[in-house]
Amino acid sequence: MVNKAVITDLIKNFDVSFNILRADINPKGGKMLIEINGSEAEKGIEYIEKAGIDVSPVKRVVKKDKDLCIDCGACVSICPVKAIVIEDDWTVDVNDTECVGCKLCTYSCPTKAIKVVE
Amino acid sequence: MKTIEEINQRIKDGDAVVVTAAEMTQIVKENGADKAADEIDVVTTGTFGAMCSSGAFLNFGHTDPPIKMTKTYLNGVEAYSGIAAVDSYIGATQPSRIPEIGIDYGGAHVIEDLIRGKDIELIASSYGTDCYPLTDLKTHVNIENLNEAIMVNPRNCYQNYAAAINTTDEIIYTYMGTLLPNMGNVSFSSAGVLSPLLNDPYFQTIGMGTKIFMCGAEGYVIGEGTQHNTEVQRKNGVPVNGAGTLMLKGDMKQMDPKYVRGATMPKYGSTLYVGLGIPIPIINSDIAQKTAISDEDIVCQIMDYGTPKRSKPVVMESNYKQLRSGSVEINGVEIETSPLSSYKKALEIALELKSWINKGDFLLSNPVKLLKSEGCSPRPLEIRRQTVLVNEIKSKPLITANPNDDIRDVAKKMVQNSINHLPVVDADQKLLGIVTSWDIANAVAKGKTMLKDVMTKKVVIAREDEPVDVIARRIDKHEISGLPIISKNNRVMGMITAEDISRLMCARNLKDGV
Ligand code: SF4
Ligand code: SF4
Repeated sequence: MVNKAVITDLIKNFDVSFNILRADINPKGGKMLIEINGSEAEKGIEYIEKAGIDVSPVKRVVKKDKDLCIDCGACVSICPVKAIVIEDDWTVDVNDTECVGCKLCTYSCPTKAIKVVE
Repeated sequence: MKTIEEINQRIKDGDAVVVTAAEMTQIVKENGADKAADEIDVVTTGTFGAMCSSGAFLNFGHTDPPIKMTKTYLNGVEAYSGIAAVDSYIGATQPSRIPEIGIDYGGAHVIEDLIRGKDIELIASSYGTDCYPLTDLKTHVNIENLNEAIMVNPRNCYQNYAAAINTTDEIIYTYMGTLLPNMGNVSFSSAGVLSPLLNDPYFQTIGMGTKIFMCGAEGYVIGEGTQHNTEVQRKNGVPVNGAGTLMLKGDMKQMDPKYVRGATMPKYGSTLYVGLGIPIPIINSDIAQKTAISDEDIVCQIMDYGTPKRSKPVVMESNYKQLRSGSVEINGVEIETSPLSSYKKALEIALELKSWINKGDFLLSNPVKLLKSEGCSPRPLEIRRQTVLVNEIKSKPLITANPNDDIRDVAKKMVQNSINHLPVVDADQKLLGIVTSWDIANAVAKGKTMLKDVMTKKVVIAREDEPVDVIARRIDKHEISGLPIISKNNRVMGMITAEDISRLMCARNLKDGV
């Protein structure tokens, strides 16, 4: 644990927005699962690494429920890494290996058909 | 020239030639409209999109003792029951009355669950009369035990619809889906080449009484939909934006859950995905030509949904070939596009309707009255009270600070003027950041002295010409209490605070007697 308001400085000094998804902090140290977005996200991550925090990207799998999905395509253009594509037969497909787990698709799907599991 | 009767005879004889609208485009391209009109009898269309203006009339049957229901809730979603004693209308966009559920389960979901055959909890209440003494009840209903469950959608099947983009620097959630900041994506809705009303753009065959495919059952067009608009600018014979609409009716007891779906647009509301297919009788070569329209010929305007105004600025014009390709180019930048309505389902519907007709199960109907093709343009609703713009609000004299100011001086300034926010500006009055009393307290606690070390650099701002209501929503969204007002040439003009706005609202309500 670093004895500094790292996160506070992060938001103040960089153009980032973030979500604390989980926090597990005790006097000896702790872990936080955060999602960092924004134009300076990478610089921001560099900054917290320099401040002495271990940063490791989370491994996740993205799953689409075939019965719930209506193949509308609403999730396609919002995926930052083009992991979601429309196939030749107009089925919407998600490419697990490309996914970075940002969950934007999960949040935007009108039928809640797509989930990211850690 | 062919009549509907002649086409129906061919359907009954098993001789009718039926193709989808996508196939027809190819056929006319290869053989010409005259030959296509001779050979083809029916073109089937399809769409499966979010249609908010949908709902259903339900008749529950009479209880013993009887009740004259004045409030009804289906799985917690209110239905309108100011119609007789045991009828109600459940609208697709009505959210659950339970705050934790809200838009995640709305009228659209109730409709889907009914069609799926699920049991739905019904809670009803009443004031009680001599002939209807019962004042409340709680029971379960389902599609089997309802007397009638009739879907009546006031406005479906938009003839074309603008695509959406967001030019602001924040993500926004709209009925057109999630729109990424800084023109990060484009969302479009129409089924393009398969879209029913784009294949009969002047309503030469569609009208009151036209039999259609509606959510897997037979349904009917019962007239123009609300906001039916015939005066939208056309290119290649079809409107470039939302235009004609349909009012539809269908029996939910016959519907197939495969072709209807309750959904929720995040942070917007619930909506119903409705599967529709309309058969277009090829009565002459003119209609054959119209059904031959291609995705490339259907122009679609891309509008800025970042502007929360009635008329949104057009960012550019595109067409469905481009939109469906996965990206469009705007100012030299590739921007990803994606549909909001399912083309896969639209095609499935066009093919399903085609097979119904081929099997002789579905005959075409002669409309009693064609839809209006001219003279309709919806009027806007003018509000009595004028929107107040930011620069019309009386704000306190402008007080600012400079980045190199000492924090103690800044604190003094804030106390003297009893303000909680201070914009930090450069020599030209250009905004550099903002500081709040909380930041100051924080700085003192941490032993910092220079203002520039504690100010927030990312500032949510208000423009002089924005309506105050828009600012109120922004304050709410960002959970902040004040924003600097910025002029066209980026100078700080003042501050607008939550207090200013509530004072204005109070004064306004007093005046209006609300
Ligand atoms: S947004 Fe949801 S329903 Fe639409 S294609 Fe993506 S996963 Fe399927
Ligand atoms: S979670 Fe993010 S990266 Fe993964 S598929 Fe969804 S939108 Fe793409």
